[in-house]
Amino acid sequence: MSRTPVFVALLLASVALALAFRLPQLNLRPMHGDEAVHAYKCNELWQSGLYVYDPEEYHGPTLYYGTLPVFWLSSVKGWAQTSAAAYRIVPVFFGVGLILLLFLVADGLGRPATICAAVLTALSSPMVFYSRYYIQETLLVFFTFLVMAAGWRFTRAGRMSGQWSWAVLLGAGIGLMHATKETCVIAWACLALALAIVVLWSHTAPRRALVGVIAIALPAAVLTSLLLFAGLSSHLGGAVDSVRGYATYFRRAAGVTHYHPWYYYLQILGFVHYASGPTWSEALIVVLGAVGAFVALRGRAPTGVDLNLVRFLAVYTLLMLCVYSVIPYKTPWCVLGFLHGLILLAGVGAVWLLHVVRVRAAQVCVGVVLLAAAGQLGWQAWRGSHDYVFCADPRNPCVYAHPVRDVEALEVDVERLAAASPLGHGLLIRVVIENCWPLPWYLRRFGRVGYYEHIPDDADVDVVLASTKLESELEHRLHHDYEVTYRGLRRDEVLAVYVRRDLWDAFRARQTRAGTTATSP
Amino acid sequence: MRQILLIGMVVTLGLVFARPAGAQESKPAAATQPAKSDEKADAKQPDDRGFVPIELKLPKPAFKGTPANVPPGTNLEPPRKGPRPPVLAPPGTKNVAFKKPVTSSDTDPIVGNVKMVTDGNKEASEGTYVELGPRPQWIQIDLKDKFAIYAIVVWHFHGSARVYHDTVVQVSNDPDFIDKVETVFNNDHDNSSGLGLGQDKEYWETYEGKLIDAKGVVGRYVRLYSKGSTADDQNHYTEVEVYGVPAK
Repeated sequence: MSRTPVFVALLLASVALALAFRLPQLNLRPMHGDEAVHAYKCNELWQSGLYVYDPEEYHGPTLYYGTLPVFWLSSVKGWAQTSAAAYRIVPVFFGVGLILLLFLVADGLGRPATICAAVLTALSSPMVFYSRYYIQETLLVFFTFLVMAAGWRFTRAGRMSGQWSWAVLLGAGIGLMHATKETCVIAWACLALALAIVVLWSHTAPRRALVGVIAIALPAAVLTSLLLFAGLSSHLGGAVDSVRGYATYFRRAAGVTHYHPWYYYLQILGFVHYASGPTWSEALIVVLGAVGAFVALRGRAPTGVDLNLVRFLAVYTLLMLCVYSVIPYKTPWCVLGFLHGLILLAGVGAVWLLHVVRVRAAQVCVGVVLLAAAGQLGWQAWRGSHDYVFCADPRNPCVYAHPVRDVEALEVDVERLAAASPLGHGLLIRVVIENCWPLPWYLRRFGRVGYYEHIPDDADVDVVLASTKLESELEHRLHHDYEVTYRGLRRDEVLAVYVRRDLWDAFRARQTRAGTTATSP
Repeated sequence: MRQILLIGMVVTLGLVFARPAGAQESKPAAATQPAKSDEKADAKQPDDRGFVPIELKLPKPAFKGTPANVPPGTNLEPPRKGPRPPVLAPPGTKNVAFKKPVTSSDTDPIVGNVKMVTDGNKEASEGTYVELGPRPQWIQIDLKDKFAIYAIVVWHFHGSARVYHDTVVQVSNDPDFIDKVETVFNNDHDNSSGLGLGQDKEYWETYEGKLIDAKGVVGRYVRLYSKGSTADDQNHYTEVEVYGVPAK
């Protein structure tokens, strides 16, 4: 392993850079529906200590178990007291962990390429954005890289005892992938196929090594997965359900929802310019990644770069890109899987470009261009995650099916109504909408909230939040007098906020005391 | 025979090119037909004060229909049945905001520039609107002289169904809007923008724009506030028209 002080210092500087892009303003973006669901599931685990896998939804438990230490270390008692940052800090650590894992493969990528890959990981817009997003994707990419890195170290370990520990880590990584998200099977298949192709390509026959690693890693993987799905919660059925869940996800992959054309991911990485918004591009990574793949094909790597590892990364990345592009069901966070492979290749590509240009002045020019392009990546990543408008605006390609900012104003509205009511947070609230998320997050301080897809018989309560699509039906079902205002939930979904007249009058009286009534001519 | 054919072709081409440009556009669906009240001859008859309806030129509808039925007691304007009632004004009333200078609270708009607010283009397409930043923002039109204002029409953004929050419209002779400010519209129902509790209702954006009856209020400056919408937190302005006559 490469441990020279300069290399370590540069890699740690990249970690600091990644933290600087990921940690600030974690509460800035409204809670996405998926994030709210996971926060709710995590709260269930936190409060009950029980995790039950649902083969129809929600993925595996690593995200939730990974969040528990945050709660243990903080003084909060329940999810009503938590903020979005308490959840989002978990993927931040895994996103930054991707850079730390580079220590394990530095002697395969070479030190300069490792530093380049670390900087690109720190600055890539989707990497930054989804490292601040409370979903499983960043964790899956981290555990996938852990498997790769452990596998690489296994091949480099000289003694049997050393190989043993890396094989156990490799197995644990596979188990953690399984306990994170069902799409791990795509990564497993691509890893296995890439390994087979590289073995054939390099004419090596590591049969004994393969048998050895499987013999050790497989039990470790099964044990890790069993522990997370069943053992920690004493719910033995979880292990069976974790396999049954694949039927659901194979069905979903056919693309009933979230259908996008095959070039969707290429578009996100290449060039995106939605109506009157800024331009987004990860072109630097794509181009340098392509150069890295060329190095793998060419068969001669720069000094310090292991050709077989580069070939493995090239094949794995290409396979991942192809499989994800073929599947009709696409969401933008799935881009992380092969984007990470591209970033590792891009590190090699950048070093090769500097290596192949032998004239000093030309090397300086290439270096300046690469630095400028990295600056563009960083500026774009900052804008995409820290700009108040674009971190939640659909003109940002990472923003997908996102709630609008009005949902935060709705939370303020309901808090104000509670302040005007003698019931306080005991207000009776009915939410009537087909997809209520992330409203349970924004109403988490209220103990008496009912969620319905259809209008319930006893809809007449203090506050009714209903989809405007249901207004005409609701109009006939409500018997009390209500005042209605409007708040957006998603771009295509507006909520009608019904406030019972007595509560509305109390609210208006309270607001009047806070300001003067406007006069019209 | 050849001469007859030639004459026929010339006449046909003449008929095609003689059609007004708008006549080639597809006819909008019945649900989104523009109001025709301003086209009716009898509607142009002056009332007992000598006031006549203001004629408005409307953009093309960009989406179909009001998104939802609105129950009674709602704080949202119910969908109108039939054409929009005309606003009456003295003869000679015209859009005095056209090409007049505009300033705003956001000196660095996200999209476009404030000149678009009075450029006469009110279509719901790219390049026709200015997008100001989030939270409360205002635009201000300097009419360059005092006018008796009878109507203000505002198109925030009518490309999709949305409701803008805390729309407040004020008229004043003070460019800083401190002295003698007249509020002609305010639908801030909870005073969250700090301009006072409004009594007016929220409304869906449509191609017709929001027509505000200013009742002849006199002023040189018109300021329009808003605080995001149900679609996002930004503040869009496609066009603002101010109908008035020079104040005596």
